[in-house]
Amino acid sequence: MSNTIVMNSGEDEYMRELKEKTEYTGVHPQKFGLWLAMASMTMFFAALTSALILKKGDFKSWENFKLPNIFFLSTAVIIGLSVSMHAALICYRKARFTAFRWLFFLGFMLGIVFLLAQWLGFRALASMGFPLTGNIAGQFVYLVALLHGLHIVVALLITGLVLIFAIRARKDPLFELRNIINPKRKLHMELLVTFWHYIDIVWIYLFVFLYLNYR
Amino acid sequence: MSAHTTTTPADVHGHVDTGHIHGHEHHHEASWLETYVFCQDHKTIAKQFLITGIFWGIVGGLLSVLFRMQLGWPNETFPFLETFLGKWAEGGKISNEFYLAMVTMHGTILVFFVLTGGLSGTFANLLIPYQVGARDMASGFINMLSYWFFFSASVVLFISFFVQTGPASGGWTAYPPLNGMRDVAINKGSGLGFDLWALAMTLFIVSSLTGGLNYVATILNLRTKGMSMMKLPLTVWAFLFTAVLGILSFPALLAGVALLEFDRLLGTSFYLNMIVVNGHLLDYRGGSPILFQHLFWFLGHPEVYIIILPAMGIVSEVLAVHSRKPIFGYRAMVISIMAIVIISFLVWAHHMFVTGLNPNLAAVFVLFTLLIAVPSAIKVFNWIGTVWKGSVRLNPPMLFAMGFVSMFISGGLTGLMLGNSPIDIQLHDTYFVVAHFHIVMGVAAFFGMFAGVYHWFPRFYGRFMNDTLGYIHFYVTLIGGYAIFFPMHFMTGLPRRYYTFANFETFNNFNFLTQFISIAAIVVFTAQLLFVVNFFYSIFKGRKVDVERTSEDGYTYGNPWDGATLEWTAPIERIHGNWPGEIPSVHRWPYDYSVNDKPYISQDTPLAPGEVEHK
Repeated sequence: MSNTIVMNSGEDEYMRELKEKTEYTGVHPQKFGLWLAMASMTMFFAALTSALILKKGDFKSWENFKLPNIFFLSTAVIIGLSVSMHAALICYRKARFTAFRWLFFLGFMLGIVFLLAQWLGFRALASMGFPLTGNIAGQFVYLVALLHGLHIVVALLITGLVLIFAIRARKDPLFELRNIINPKRKLHMELLVTFWHYIDIVWIYLFVFLYLNYR
Repeated sequence: MSAHTTTTPADVHGHVDTGHIHGHEHHHEASWLETYVFCQDHKTIAKQFLITGIFWGIVGGLLSVLFRMQLGWPNETFPFLETFLGKWAEGGKISNEFYLAMVTMHGTILVFFVLTGGLSGTFANLLIPYQVGARDMASGFINMLSYWFFFSASVVLFISFFVQTGPASGGWTAYPPLNGMRDVAINKGSGLGFDLWALAMTLFIVSSLTGGLNYVATILNLRTKGMSMMKLPLTVWAFLFTAVLGILSFPALLAGVALLEFDRLLGTSFYLNMIVVNGHLLDYRGGSPILFQHLFWFLGHPEVYIIILPAMGIVSEVLAVHSRKPIFGYRAMVISIMAIVIISFLVWAHHMFVTGLNPNLAAVFVLFTLLIAVPSAIKVFNWIGTVWKGSVRLNPPMLFAMGFVSMFISGGLTGLMLGNSPIDIQLHDTYFVVAHFHIVMGVAAFFGMFAGVYHWFPRFYGRFMNDTLGYIHFYVTLIGGYAIFFPMHFMTGLPRRYYTFANFETFNNFNFLTQFISIAAIVVFTAQLLFVVNFFYSIFKGRKVDVERTSEDGYTYGNPWDGATLEWTAPIERIHGNWPGEIPSVHRWPYDYSVNDKPYISQDTPLAPGEVEHK
């Protein structure tokens, strides 16, 4: 298959110039930018969880409870999401677009399932006697899950757009060719999948954190 | 296949975008909208930030004039105010509600929209690509988004002036419980005005973060050949650490505001507990308003360094260029910036000494607060060392840079006093605090910003600003700035944010000083209008930069201040991609002034045979 040859001829011009004309650090600048954004988001969630610790120390108002089991399900779903997104990226790199589209679609759907699972978690919390406006201990679970969910929504919107373009052009060989030879598109796909991995890891952190604080 | 997925080979060619470094290779006629509005060029984005900042500077300054009028002449009426402010100044007297709103908006606008957005946004955008030798930012698109988030934040904040219940009025620090409920019976600004404030701040934080990511990614990844970190001008060092500070501390404020809006809109009680309004106990249980203060000041204190570090960077550059001497103690300057950034994350609770903070914990924060004086003093020493025995040119940028040093010393000394918790507890919420932070981060940061505008105006527009107007602007602002804030140190016990002191006999002896300050404030504000006139006049009619040489392809080159940094090696015409040919490569540090019998040696000049590189 001539795919490999095409891919090599599409060697990233930008990176080549970066290596020749600048004090090259070994990282694509935009990838580096995403890492910085991830550092920033980490500070955001660190602020939320430290607020929880601070508040829990004031035990007078803290009413402890066990985290609903449904959050185990959402954690499993989000791990599945990361796996399928990563597999999709591998297929994309190897120009296996049919597999890419299916795996990417699967990841997208798992994102929606994750949000549904979180919503079920909220309902379980409420039925345990911890509605949104109830005890402060319950409020924190809603807070971190909602603000994390907001990140998932943003990632889903971007993924949805990419998915629409990918499905629309599935019978168009030129579109696929463009995908193979365009390093910028490959970079953007990598950035998107990295972002997915990041917010998935954030949820695993939040889940473990909540699990340890609520028992 | 539907029509819009039809692709011709020509299309494919057109879309093979290699993410070119060489902007000039991209032969694409930019439309008016792409050139002036949705522009991805760092120079245009810098101008957009600057002009938006100037707009907010005028609004924020005007607010201070209005509330100084109320403070200076609490029993007078000014009928013309009713014409402009309507119900907020019935009978020509500013209402107490609007007074509080003005104080709140003055703080928000100047801290965030002028001295963060306007200062960092302008100079980081203009100087980072020029001084590191890059064609543009790491991502021009994200950079453009950064400005448009700032613009949307500005629009939302401006709209909040026109809502029925008025803009936010619970202080720029937005403390709950006052701002924690949407109950306009307690505080009118707690209504829609505050929600708009929170939305504007959220947009602003997004703008600041997207901008910051780009600044750091550009500085670390797009330096031209030879530009090692220790060859970076101090401006770039300052922008780098400013952006790092913002990236790591703004999320805490975002989290704080998110919790606040959860309380306000969804009825949670993160910050609220046992609130009684009009004799009724509300349903909020278990929250703590102190939690907000922790989240707020975790940003709030680094924020003052986000404001002052770019000014410090600009001043270091301007002092060296106009003293015609290498910067004194380059390495110490860089280490000081790093030290300030690290320590600034460990001092936030010095804003909270009166919240019932454990005195042992307070002692830790006192220690770190006083420690910051060390790198700050090193920087002051080095600035003075730079000017010492230099061939000083006393032009407007240099004067403003020296004014910065003066203000920074005056305001910094009172910081040492306030950093001690026993003294702070006495002085908390008095005009002493107002004097301290206005001098050290308000006026000083403005001086740094003015130094930058006068100095890099030729880089922006290829013209100079008018010197005479610049001198008047400087002397009025310097003398006026001290006239406003110096007397405040001696207004013992006078509380901040009060609408009037007429009812307190004990403060009557300050009546003269209060009026004096108000008059000085009006004079200083007028002088700033002179700057605005000078700025816009000079864009079109200013004296042009002398052309030193013209290249074969028709570009002209000039170095108006004989500066050694890379921005002056680019043509006077501002082109996309900054340099028409190859990017200049760097061979020496940025402060080779008055060496080897030359007035300056540009960074892209190779070392002469036998010349030892500055380390």
